[in-house]
Amino acid sequence: MASILLKNVVKSFGSFVGVQDMNLDVVDEEFLVLLGPSGCGKTTTMRMIAGLEHPTEGEIRIGDALMNDIDARDRDVAMVFQGYALYPNMSIYENIRFPLRMRQVPKAKHDDLIRRAAEMVELGPFLDRKPGALSGGQRQRAALARAIVRQPQVFLMDEPLSNLDAKLRASMRVQIKHMQRELKVTTVYVTHDQIEAMTLADRIVIMNKGVIQQIGTPDDIYSNPANTFVAGFIGSPPMNLIAGTAQNGTFSSAGIRVPCPANLSGNITLGIRPEDCQIGGDNLQGQVYGVEPTGDITYLTVRTANKNIEIKAGREFRAPIDSAIAVGFDTSRLYFFGEDGYRVGVN
Amino acid sequence: MASVRKSGGDNLLVRYIILVSWAMVCLVPILWFLTIGFRPRTEIIVPEPIYWPTWSLDAWRLLVSDWPIALYLRNSILAVAGSVVIDLVLAIPAAFALARYEFKGREDIGFYILSTRMMAPAIVAVPIFFLFKNIGLLDSVWALMLIYAAINLSLVTWIIRSYMLDIPKELEDAARTDGAGDLTILWEIMIPACLPGIITAAVIAAIFAINEFLFTLLIASTSKAYTMSVALANFTGGSDGVIYNAIALVSFIAFAPILILVILIQKHLSRGLTMGAVKG
Ligand SMILES: Nc1ncnc2c1ncn2[C@@H]1O[C@H](COP(=O)(O)OP(=O)(O)O)[C@@H](O)[C@H]1O
Ligand SMILES: [Mg+2]
Repeated sequence: MASILLKNVVKSFGSFVGVQDMNLDVVDEEFLVLLGPSGCGKTTTMRMIAGLEHPTEGEIRIGDALMNDIDARDRDVAMVFQGYALYPNMSIYENIRFPLRMRQVPKAKHDDLIRRAAEMVELGPFLDRKPGALSGGQRQRAALARAIVRQPQVFLMDEPLSNLDAKLRASMRVQIKHMQRELKVTTVYVTHDQIEAMTLADRIVIMNKGVIQQIGTPDDIYSNPANTFVAGFIGSPPMNLIAGTAQNGTFSSAGIRVPCPANLSGNITLGIRPEDCQIGGDNLQGQVYGVEPTGDITYLTVRTANKNIEIKAGREFRAPIDSAIAVGFDTSRLYFFGEDGYRVGVN
Repeated sequence: MASVRKSGGDNLLVRYIILVSWAMVCLVPILWFLTIGFRPRTEIIVPEPIYWPTWSLDAWRLLVSDWPIALYLRNSILAVAGSVVIDLVLAIPAAFALARYEFKGREDIGFYILSTRMMAPAIVAVPIFFLFKNIGLLDSVWALMLIYAAINLSLVTWIIRSYMLDIPKELEDAARTDGAGDLTILWEIMIPACLPGIITAAVIAAIFAINEFLFTLLIASTSKAYTMSVALANFTGGSDGVIYNAIALVSFIAFAPILILVILIQKHLSRGLTMGAVKG
């Protein structure tokens, strides 16, 4: 159990910079999620914490100890890989046992520890099988069991659920969170799935192109996105981002007029979440482009001259395509972003 | 597959006919050869074909009494098996390093190792002869073992390397975070994971070694170190002319160990050959 500190960490591959000047402080026992699109440097960051990749610049600390020159095998870190990386020639039992053997845990304790770890992920009946004879979900749990068997200081999980189907993913999500709470091991979890990030994280780190965009609790990131990237990445569907101009306390774009802080002017991007719009009102005039009932919510897409706007309407809402529609915004929940993409007009 | 099954037995029958015919084309010469070995000498070269030959163990008796076949077989097996062991001991760590470690000139070294295979053996024949003469290993099975190992080392290294390149790097990373060092990773993860490749390489090396002729002829100056390949070439069946049925039998005996080996491991081999082929 330990904190993790990254200080001005840079990782370049030749002239390509994979991770740029990263500063990150993972608190002891925290569940931290690295979230970002594919290729943004999440795996690289995690591999640096594990010691599988060496930072080009900067410091990495686990607990208080500087890790830069410590080999992966000597860091007390357990990692779950995206492809599970189970040893194909060993049974699941031997797979889970491997870290115990490597770390010179006394032999007498092995069986007990292995069975307890397998119990935790409900893998008991499969211990004698080879990885090849397990389903994706079982392999996934075997990889988890191998990571938890020796109570490490830090868990690292690299998209552990990305190869599972949606239903299994949801149940494994709960299982992982429960397990982390129980074991109280500091965890860094990588994903490109914002639902996973929102549900699992104590804090989320949003990355793009090797740069941290925002660090905060799920609530914080949802209700106070720092820039258009974060706003457009979080939420399903994500926040509507509408380019327009602000003048004299009014933001306008094709078909849209809303009040905005008087100090804003020039090119501004308006952000409004789909659930903060309601049918009827005078902020948006457009045509119905599509109506998608899903049972509890109906998704409505409204076309304006510039852009399609996503709206969450009530479950009963129906409208013919191309009919004119007027929409109102909850004006207390408007977001404005400047030309650099960062939030403006916040008091 | 499913569509083939659905289209009925006809299709399957055609397939079997084609496959069986092809198997016959491959097998008949070998079987015919084998039958020569078990026919009396008088029935081998005759003007008319004999459809129902008489069986006889004449050739076999001649071999056992007049020809030290056990010695030659022993020499072959010792030299070939020893060379394969030497190759594996040297090639596996080398292949691991070439596949996984980053060091300057890695690609060049890999190619350089392979290029030793491209050289015509005759070029080094004379130096090799004097080399072994000077270290007093002429006419010795140990010398053959070393030479076979040297001839095949590059190929064995290359095949195993291409296999190791196919093993996901994640596996090794997982072992490293679990606390394993390089030797453990090689021994417990890499070798089991690329066992088919190692077996393939070993069999190919064994086939090359068992068929090796030039250097064996050079080094084995008396029958003391003869292997099957050289002994076979020198064998005419004894003092009274060329005895074809004995030659056929000897050839078959020389060929049998490889046949058995290949049958035992054919599952690995077919996979191994294609994998080695597509990878650089
Ligand atoms: N060993 C490497 N050599 C060169 N480029 C790499 C290497 N590893 C990763 N990259 C690059 O760094 C970027 C970030 O990769 P990665 O951390 O794997 O992204 P993510 O896990 O967020 O999808 C990618 O553009 C990738 O191509
Ligand atoms: Mg990744």
